Amino acid sequence: MTRNGFLTALVLAVSLLSSVPVAAGETLQLEEYRGKVVLLDFWASWCVPCRRSFPWMNEMQKKYADDGLVVIAVNLDNDAAEAATFLQEYPAVFEIAYDPDKQLARSYNVQAMPTSYLLDRDGATIERHLGFKTAKTDEYEAAIVAALKGAEK
Amino acid sequence: MTKPDDQKISAALAKATCALLGATAIVPVQAEEESKWDFNTALLYYGEDNDRVQDLSVSLLARRNLLDDRSITLGMTVDALTGATPHGAIRQPVAQTFTRPSGNAAYTVPANNLPLDDTFKDTRVALTASWQQPLGRLYQFNVGASASKEYDYLHLGLNAIIARDFNQRNTTVSAGFAFAADSFDPVGGAPTPLTSMLDVGDLSNRQGSQDKDIVDFVFGVTQVVSRNLILQANYSFSDASGYLNDPYKILSVVDGVSGDTVTRTPPPGVEGPSHEYLFESRPDQRTKHGLYGQAKYYMNGKVLDVSYRYMTDDWEIDSHTVDLRLRFPMGDTKFLEPHLRYYTQSEADFYQPSIVDGAPLPTYATNDYRLGNFDAITAGVKFGWQTRNGNDMSVRLELYQQRGSIPADSLIGNQVGYVQYPDLDAVIAQFSYRFGS
Amino acid sequence: MKIMVTLGLLAVLSGCSSMGVEPWDRDILAKEEMQLTTDPIEAATDDHIYFSKEASSGGRGFGGGGCGCN
Repeated sequence: MTRNGFLTALVLAVSLLSSVPVAAGETLQLEEYRGKVVLLDFWASWCVPCRRSFPWMNEMQKKYADDGLVVIAVNLDNDAAEAATFLQEYPAVFEIAYDPDKQLARSYNVQAMPTSYLLDRDGATIERHLGFKTAKTDEYEAAIVAALKGAEK
Repeated sequence: MTKPDDQKISAALAKATCALLGATAIVPVQAEEESKWDFNTALLYYGEDNDRVQDLSVSLLARRNLLDDRSITLGMTVDALTGATPHGAIRQPVAQTFTRPSGNAAYTVPANNLPLDDTFKDTRVALTASWQQPLGRLYQFNVGASASKEYDYLHLGLNAIIARDFNQRNTTVSAGFAFAADSFDPVGGAPTPLTSMLDVGDLSNRQGSQDKDIVDFVFGVTQVVSRNLILQANYSFSDASGYLNDPYKILSVVDGVSGDTVTRTPPPGVEGPSHEYLFESRPDQRTKHGLYGQAKYYMNGKVLDVSYRYMTDDWEIDSHTVDLRLRFPMGDTKFLEPHLRYYTQSEADFYQPSIVDGAPLPTYATNDYRLGNFDAITAGVKFGWQTRNGNDMSVRLELYQQRGSIPADSLIGNQVGYVQYPDLDAVIAQFSYRFGS
Repeated sequence: MKIMVTLGLLAVLSGCSSMGVEPWDRDILAKEEMQLTTDPIEAATDDHIYFSKEASSGGRGFGGGGCGCN
């Protein structure tokens, strides 16, 4: 699939650019997650479908953590306080990173809110999901399971 | 990063849908808040001065949000109308007697008073229902039905709208269609146009109920310009056919020189009109075109909403509407929103204050002030606040004023002294409460 | 008249293709008060009042704006 080729090529650029702060003020280095399957989700406090995605991402993180799944939700709010308010109402068991300068969002060419990228254990992008639909969560989960087993689409 | 290529919009997007006569508007699902149920209630008072129309209404809009941006919305409005409305006869320096629309009684208007028909004590119930869902990722679809009933009028309608996003959802193109089938069963029966108002008990010039069909199309474009600015433009088309008259409106028959209304005497023992009046007549077809533009601009917490609408039709009525709202936040939970609306319309080509006795009858004629030449201004303010449990309440108070003029060349003889456009002053007061779960 | 309107809208559309904001910059547009119709009951009530008192009616639009999510 040409889309995959394009996205995979992006990852090389992205891994060089991904110095994105994590909650405690450290930067997010996606290379640290080699060997893990990463669900990279871009969200914002004002995004309604993001509220539906958080409980599901919590479920996925808990269910597949032992198998090697890491969920990282990258926040794109301009105002960190709004993100904090959102997280109080929708607490996350997974990692939250902050990208207020939109560096990571641009390098991943985010085209919708929310967008999630499924990265395999080598850091290559396997799938991209524009938006979050509760009707499609089985599909999303099947892709995660396949990635954890080492299969590539 | 590259943006999607320019999209070509085919002109085949001509299947359009429009909201008509208060049918459900698309309620934005993707605003900040979302809950399973969203209830919107309102109590409205509308009152005109000089014993004219007063209306009290209660509205309820209930939306049930379902998964993945689908929703069903049900609405109901009940209003109680009382008061009188000018029925088109011109005032005279003598008392005038009219037969009621039912034909069962007569009533007298004192000398020099604007004749008003106060038969209208009416309750209206209106219902709307609509279903909204995405189709695929980029389309949004809404289909709805509406119905309303008052003692002499029934409305049934269907509407559908489809919208498609382009340019990463910065551009939205929408097309809508609405169809309404209305029927009028006037008290006493619909009078034959341009026949006389008859004595009490005489319904010989009345027919049964009448139908009216209306088709509407709307085609629109919404464009996000910047983080703070969104624009909308649309073209609307409306075609009404069937019975478009107001069965309760009349015109005075006047002397061609003096302009005074011709008198008549009912037969002995019978009550009836004191002067000659004819029931109005309008064409059985009306085609309207409209152009509408709106901008919403966010400036540091304040929101400016400005819109303009131009409408023209084949009755020669042209109108311009300019609407301005500015919302000022007051802290985090309150706001103040002043509102100003300016409206102007030109009269229908068959609008005339009276009919000359003895001259050939015009094909169409009306003295309904709503088809006349007037300017209207609405000025008001709305104040909104959040309750302790996070629900929204608001009150608004507005003044509505119509000031019209009658072209000098349509006034005859003495009419220049006493025939004026029936200016209107009204108060609009509304309280609303929005809550969800 | 109709041809002019269609051409006008098409011109607006083609000019619009490069305007707009990135998907993550819809925070203000997502606000309640920035929706095209902020209060549907008020809009319907006003439409009904003005329909009863004036010769023009309708013409408002819908769709678009908001957070642009999903």
